[in-house]
Amino acid sequence: MIQAEYYNIFVKIIDQLAVLDFLPPVWKFILASVIAALVFFHVIAIFALVAIWVERKVAGHIQDRLGPMETGWHGVLQTLADAIKLLIKEDIIAGGIDRRLFVLAPVIVFMTALAVFVVFPVGENFIVSDLNIGILYIVAISTLVVPGIIMAGWSSNNKWSLFGAMRSAAQIVSYEVPVGLAIVCAVMAAGSLSMQTIVESQAGGFWNWFIFSKFPFGFIAFFIYFVASLAEINRTPFDLPEAESEIVAGYMTEYSGMRWSFFFLAEYGNMLAVGAIATTLFLGGWQTPISLLSFIPGPVWFTAKTMFLVFVHIWLRWTLPRLRVDQLMYMCWKVLTPFAFVSIFGIGLWMTF
Amino acid sequence: MIGKDIIFIIFAVITVGSAALVVFSKKIIYAAFSLMLSLFGVAALFVFLNADFLAAVQVIVYVGGILVLILFGVLLTVKISSDNVISHLSQRIWGSIAAVGMFVLIFIAITRTNWTILDKSEDVVYYPQSEAIGIQLLTNYILPFEVASILLLAALIGAMFLVRPENK
Amino acid sequence: MQSVNQYFLNIYIAIKSVLIGMSITFRHLFTKSVTVQYPRERLPIPGTSRNLLLNKIEDCIGCDQCVRVCPVNCITMDTIKVFPEDDLGLASDGSKKRLWLPRFDIDMAKCCYCGLCTYPCPTECLIMTDEYEYATYERNDLVFKFTDLDPIQIAELKEKDHIRSMEKEKKKLETAKQAAAKPGKNGGKSGEGT
Repeated sequence: MIQAEYYNIFVKIIDQLAVLDFLPPVWKFILASVIAALVFFHVIAIFALVAIWVERKVAGHIQDRLGPMETGWHGVLQTLADAIKLLIKEDIIAGGIDRRLFVLAPVIVFMTALAVFVVFPVGENFIVSDLNIGILYIVAISTLVVPGIIMAGWSSNNKWSLFGAMRSAAQIVSYEVPVGLAIVCAVMAAGSLSMQTIVESQAGGFWNWFIFSKFPFGFIAFFIYFVASLAEINRTPFDLPEAESEIVAGYMTEYSGMRWSFFFLAEYGNMLAVGAIATTLFLGGWQTPISLLSFIPGPVWFTAKTMFLVFVHIWLRWTLPRLRVDQLMYMCWKVLTPFAFVSIFGIGLWMTF
Repeated sequence: MIGKDIIFIIFAVITVGSAALVVFSKKIIYAAFSLMLSLFGVAALFVFLNADFLAAVQVIVYVGGILVLILFGVLLTVKISSDNVISHLSQRIWGSIAAVGMFVLIFIAITRTNWTILDKSEDVVYYPQSEAIGIQLLTNYILPFEVASILLLAALIGAMFLVRPENK
Repeated sequence: MQSVNQYFLNIYIAIKSVLIGMSITFRHLFTKSVTVQYPRERLPIPGTSRNLLLNKIEDCIGCDQCVRVCPVNCITMDTIKVFPEDDLGLASDGSKKRLWLPRFDIDMAKCCYCGLCTYPCPTECLIMTDEYEYATYERNDLVFKFTDLDPIQIAELKEKDHIRSMEKEKKKLETAKQAAAKPGKNGGKSGEGT
């Protein structure tokens, strides 16, 4: 279970390139990190382009509309057009705001969304860095988003921004508890914090995935993780921090153009990240559901499962109305947290006997 | 190993520099955000010391918990319109005495510790620590661990009691 | 005990209602959408709908009723009486056209689409059409001009009309003068009268 060295696919690739032999290993490592960051930046950007289009199409069809239809085939290029519009938009920084923090906030929020991608086991040999504390690293990085959001809300010098930031911070800090407890369930079942080990311990068919193998505790933990992670990334029905009808756009009110689109990219990056974490912890990661289908490579399974969860996010968003603040807190502290403890206890018993 | 030294120096400068900013910055909100950077730099230094678990816990507890608490305090106590949340310079003598005393204490502690210096020539194999820490916490240090949990539980109950409405 | 039951009941109801909601939205995901892709597809507009006004100017007898009935004064009409040598022909209902119409403007920016102007029109030449897309870049482009006379003709007509009115004026003056030339008779009469 203990791994003596950190496995990094990008370092391995760069090690194999003879052209770069003159570089010392540390510089190779830095180069690999930069390449990994760029790759995952583009993964997020392209995912966001597609996901926003899918979201608008799904939203349209759920409401018996068509959604975007004009730009390209069934509007596939609509998001690209919107992105170009955002890029060439004027960068408005209103008067009376704290300029330094205002500029820094979207960077921090997006950085946290990006940094999480380091430990996702996309395939058997495809992981940027199989940290031994993988899942703990994810929890640590995702806490950094709270100061980023508070920074955005505070520096905007706007009451809606501040309210949005306060709500967001309160919500994320509260929902970290059920998220953490649900993660602990999977960690206990796998006996490791490393993402790759967690996936490997779910090998051999879908009945070995933690969602099914520790029934019903695994299922409860998955359910809690899914609901609480929705709240962590401020998606509907937990989108109080950016509730349009109450506080304009929450902490994003004063942002426009590219800075705003970084918040948006972070939101979609977080959707992808949360789907990937749930896939890794409970749905067997890149493992095939039945051994018959093992000719399909692992990354395809991982992506398919993650995309399915992202679709459920979108589906839920256009089904449920927004919760009230007290309902939100009731759900967190009085429903999800006790059930998470129950499932921890159940899995503990299961692992003991 | 020069590259690693450079990375270390970068993180050390970030840590110390932002710690200095925490002390010298007049605006409390700047101080709070520099504290975030400083705590993050400390986490990076933990990574350099091969303490990955401790680094993650440092970020979770200090950035995710303490810092957010400080930020909440700042946000809730200050009117947003008044931008001048200034920390005043007061108690110079007592402050400097306390600072010097603290420095002397830490300095003595550092000099008296028996540091083992790793041989840089051979490749050091890093072993992950989370399992070792877990075993230690539940065997040798079970009593402090439980005492800490009781303390936290007491704090939780106290907080619940404080926020309860009077008539119930 | 009852509150514990209520707690579990709440959770059950919440999960159940979310699942019901999700099944409804999932069903709607595959139902046919009701969107009309507007510029390419259009819904048929009702026959009684009120849209752009059209005046069939060759039928218009310049009776001025539409101008008078319009609640927002969006119709402007100038008329010139026909000269004895002109023959404008008959309108479709058989009435004789007695007026030149050098100007018949409808300002659609002012129009309130009440349709009152179309009812009194004796020859039914002022009608509401099916046309509803006539957005313009300039507000002046919303003033629709219906006259069939070109500017030269209008100028000639106005000149002619001016001459006629001058002659009329002259005649009036002359009659007035003639009346003034026999003051005694007139004055005597009036004097007798009083």
